[in-house]
Amino acid sequence: MTETMIHLSGVTRMFGTVKALDNIELQVHRGEVMGFLGPNGAGKTTTMRILAGLLAPTEGSVAVAGVDVLEDPVEARARIGFLPENPPIYGEMTVEEYLTYLASLRRVPKGQLAGAVDRAMERCGLTAVANRLLRNLSKGYRQRAGIAQAIVHAPDVVILDEPTVGLDPIQIREIRELIRELGGEHSVLLSTHILPEVRMTCGRVAVIHQGRIVADDALENLESRVHGSSAHFVRFGSLPDADALRRMAGVAGVTPREDGWLITSVAAADPVPELLRLSVAQGWNLRELTPAGGNLEDIFLQLTTREEKENVQ
Amino acid sequence: MSAILTLAVREVRGMFHSPLAWTLLAVLFSICAYMFNASLLNYQIQMMEYQAYGMRGALPLTERTIAPMLGNAAVLLLLIMPLLSMRLIAEEKRQGTWPALASSPLSPMVIVMGKYLGLLFFIAIAIGVLAIIPLTLYPYGNPDTGQFLAGLVGLFLTAASFGAVGLAASSATENPNVAAVASFGVLLLLWIVSWMGNASGGALDKTLAYFSLMTHYQNFLTGLISSADLVYFVLLSAAGVLFARHRLLAERIQG
Repeated sequence: MTETMIHLSGVTRMFGTVKALDNIELQVHRGEVMGFLGPNGAGKTTTMRILAGLLAPTEGSVAVAGVDVLEDPVEARARIGFLPENPPIYGEMTVEEYLTYLASLRRVPKGQLAGAVDRAMERCGLTAVANRLLRNLSKGYRQRAGIAQAIVHAPDVVILDEPTVGLDPIQIREIRELIRELGGEHSVLLSTHILPEVRMTCGRVAVIHQGRIVADDALENLESRVHGSSAHFVRFGSLPDADALRRMAGVAGVTPREDGWLITSVAAADPVPELLRLSVAQGWNLRELTPAGGNLEDIFLQLTTREEKENVQ
Repeated sequence: MSAILTLAVREVRGMFHSPLAWTLLAVLFSICAYMFNASLLNYQIQMMEYQAYGMRGALPLTERTIAPMLGNAAVLLLLIMPLLSMRLIAEEKRQGTWPALASSPLSPMVIVMGKYLGLLFFIAIAIGVLAIIPLTLYPYGNPDTGQFLAGLVGLFLTAASFGAVGLAASSATENPNVAAVASFGVLLLLWIVSWMGNASGGALDKTLAYFSLMTHYQNFLTGLISSADLVYFVLLSAAGVLFARHRLLAERIQG
């Protein structure tokens, strides 16, 4: 069994009388990238702040790379890199000064400072702006600098709170690539609203709602739990009527979506070959066929309503 | 220890990267120079009157020129230090850089000490600049070097206490302006707290005089370095630093 790098056990956090986190259990293993989903106010940021050592849990225990955060907070913080929601940028510093400063505070030995900073800048695509003042950089570059400071000291655990917000599509792709790459040597906890991001980068997903973990599973399992099956989005140039789709074997439902149809299939059935055959034979002019795993809201709504049903019972 | 130094060096560099530190130094230097000139002219007139009455010898030069300038410098620093110290912790929180520090392997004490040491560096620079003004007397007169140096030590300790109170205020809020107003209020009260003592007399008088920053600083200006005054300033500074540390620890628990 692989080593557990993040271990939250029975973590509860109160703000006054409000229970922000309720008995959270969460484990992330070495080399794993874990997606952390949930609507605003669900407790994602609170959980991440507790892991980063900015907040103490009211109850429960938290360990990072085997070090108890409450017993030995300083040692535990030596093992994490944290990117908060807003990148912590010192405007009056250059990118290189900034990373050197934070790396030396995080115990990178003097002789290895330059190397560590160069590597972090290279990985985050910052080498070209190394001597620019952070204040003068675009939001995308600041975000990258924020990620660079989270990995410059090669921590065991990297915690990223919505790292691709405010980036353009090219930067988003690069950052996702980087996050996936990080998974090799670091353990990553990634909070996000964007489902494709999770699909591209994460092996496992935890969903938090009202301070409780309502799901913790591999993404495919999660999606099939929600739909009970797979789903595809299709668009045709000339489809006479939707009933032709409904009559196909293995199709559970057809719902109009935008300018096409969302086809959900019954468990273990794959309607795609039949769909392609019919499309060609009947001249429907297939324009688009995409696997659609419902969006975050779908998954989320289903998970939370299921929870409520169970509560009622 | 090296982390404290890294923090302190960045703090000072940060101050000098903003126009604030330069402006404060310029204002401090100009006003002190002006006051020094004024007291020098007064001294000249008084000396002429003194000799016109047929008195021999000289009026004490240091006491009439350097000491008043250093005394006024402390009042100026009372106004200036809250503006510098307000940024120490509150500004990091307002700008969102605080998580980068707070998630680093640094104990609250290390962070607070690093910030405070940075402020002490700035104070040393400011006092070094101010010390140039009285040095201009040396080619022409014979100032009391001991009294001058004691005054500088006193000014440093006074400013260091101002800074510690400011640090405490800065740790207690996310708004630097609130920190500045709060520390200015506390410092001004500590400066004038003995005023009521003069009216009441007796034990209260002594107690209030003990808490007054001004009373302790004035001993230094007369050339007297006493352990009682040293202890006062060290205690006040330590109280500020420990309060800030406590705030940072409590923050993790209270959120």
